[in-house]
Amino acid sequence: MIWLIKKEVKSLFRSRWLIFGLIVSPLFAWMFEGAFLSFVVAQTSAEPETVYITLDDEGIWGNTLYSAIESEMDTLLIEQLLNVTRSEGDNMVANRTLSVWVLIPENFTQELEAANRSTLVVWVNTGNFRATAAAQRIDAFAKQVINEIVIIRDLRVDWYTITPEATYGHSLAVFLVMIVSVMAPSPYVGQSFAGEREKHTLEALLVVPMSRVSILIAKLIAGLVLTMLYSIFTVIGILIYNWSIVVRAVGLPPEVMDYYINLYTVNSSAIPLIFFCQLLILICAISIGIVVSSLARDQATAESINNLILLIPTMVIGILGFTGSILQYGGVFGVFVLAIPFSHAILFLNGVLSGVATPASLLGNVLYMLAFAMVFLVIGAKLFEREAIIA
Amino acid sequence: MTDTVIRTESLTKIFEKGKKREVVALDKVSIEINRGEVFGLLGPNGAGKTTLIRILIGLLTPTAGNAWVLGCDVTQDIDYIRERVSLLPQEAGIYDRLTARENLVYYGGLYGIPDDDLHNRADRLLDTVGLREKEDYQVKGFSGGMKRKVLVARALIIEPEIVFMDEPTTGVDTIGARVVRNVLKKLSSEQKRTIILTTHDLNEVAELCDRVGILNEGNLVAVGKPSELEEQFKAADLEEVFMGLVTGEGVYGQ
Repeated sequence: MIWLIKKEVKSLFRSRWLIFGLIVSPLFAWMFEGAFLSFVVAQTSAEPETVYITLDDEGIWGNTLYSAIESEMDTLLIEQLLNVTRSEGDNMVANRTLSVWVLIPENFTQELEAANRSTLVVWVNTGNFRATAAAQRIDAFAKQVINEIVIIRDLRVDWYTITPEATYGHSLAVFLVMIVSVMAPSPYVGQSFAGEREKHTLEALLVVPMSRVSILIAKLIAGLVLTMLYSIFTVIGILIYNWSIVVRAVGLPPEVMDYYINLYTVNSSAIPLIFFCQLLILICAISIGIVVSSLARDQATAESINNLILLIPTMVIGILGFTGSILQYGGVFGVFVLAIPFSHAILFLNGVLSGVATPASLLGNVLYMLAFAMVFLVIGAKLFEREAIIA
Repeated sequence: MTDTVIRTESLTKIFEKGKKREVVALDKVSIEINRGEVFGLLGPNGAGKTTLIRILIGLLTPTAGNAWVLGCDVTQDIDYIRERVSLLPQEAGIYDRLTARENLVYYGGLYGIPDDDLHNRADRLLDTVGLREKEDYQVKGFSGGMKRKVLVARALIIEPEIVFMDEPTTGVDTIGARVVRNVLKKLSSEQKRTIILTTHDLNEVAELCDRVGILNEGNLVAVGKPSELEEQFKAADLEEVFMGLVTGEGVYGQ
């Protein structure tokens, strides 16, 4: 079996385009996402946003600031300035429905006059690029208003952020890792069996004193070794993506910067977990690919069928992963979603990252994927035993 | 006393049995091949030669009848058989991203041959087929004939007791074909290996084969030494025998 694995790996590593694809695809996916995010931020930062405001201060400075914001709405790119009470603002924070809420507190003027220092409170949903940009503009503008009028006075702006259910980076990692991991082994599995048949090397392989199951397992292991290269470059891609987020966050107020980075980056401590999850996905994807490849006449057909079979369910659950827990669906659709092995990779990763999963549920997810892979390998072995594979 | 290494009794293979597309590939073929013999399997395309080889090597299961290789039933002890026989398939492919040496070593490795021994055998075989100077070149740059030589060497790396060679000189130039034939002669005469050879080149058969079996539409229509067949069918040469048995032309047909 070792010889077969060695030969597979050696042959594949000499296939420059395959290796190029395995290196470039994860790097490209993550770098593209980083660049795309920067583009979206740049675009949406220049778009108007609705701002909620509460004026609790009855003194001169609160009114001055309020009037200044109201009169400069166009400059500040405020689409609507909506007055809300404090309790309404609190409700919006609790319900995560607000974009930006500016709270001029009760003692704003009093503190400013007594200590030359006061605090403006800004709540912002940092998951919303427009809101974050609007909050930044209000922050700078308010400081300018107060400090321009009385030069020695200083305004501090406290930012508070609304925490989303899951970080963007986390959702992105789940989505990208799954999609690209499912697709990555396709060229390999295509050439591993259908390719052997197409190149007329299968017959000589089938007469060696090795069981067909051993041949399948050797191919699976070789595929995993090869796709480890892909996994390594996924990690590098994630690190580059994280770096691009950090670069973009420079310029934000420190406390916001921390939050912003935390929201959009992939947590480094999650990388080993992502690696493990990727391994499970690869085992399943290769197992499915082996069955497809055993049935297909040639490599191109094998790759096409493989992509067709894997892409649709993967896209469905990948997108569902962005909309919340994939366990929220019931009925036939819920069963369909849970039957897809890659759903369990998402559940596993989400469960660990959010800290809500029980060990039993995590084990269940891993076992489901392994069992799925085993079943497909057994099916593959049976298909491989058919005379039709030669005749 | 002769030592029979291959024996079939009423061996029958029917593809798609009971269906519209039913094909009788082999029909009650009984044959015996002895150790050290070079046995030529002749027949037109679709006569059942490849099917017979595939059954003997365990790639296909017979529909009826029995077959024994090295005394073992092909449906029962195929692992034992596979460790001792080698196959050069008709449309054999080669791993073109591996070098000539790597192709040989890889195949031998699958049979569990120790590393040192494997490289010694590879040296010897590459010398024999005249590819020693090209041993570290990836096979993808080789001509068809050179690839065929690598395949012949690959089939011999395990030092099999029986070698099934399905048209080993097809696509090889005259000099290369001579090299391959010399290798086969040496295998038979010096090492007493049994060689089952299919070919369409009747001169090759005349030069190499101790006995031949002629298959036509799944039936074994003649078995014997070339000279015996010529005498039996009162033909000038083997080609005349072949044409007479297969197409009805020539002396035998008349």
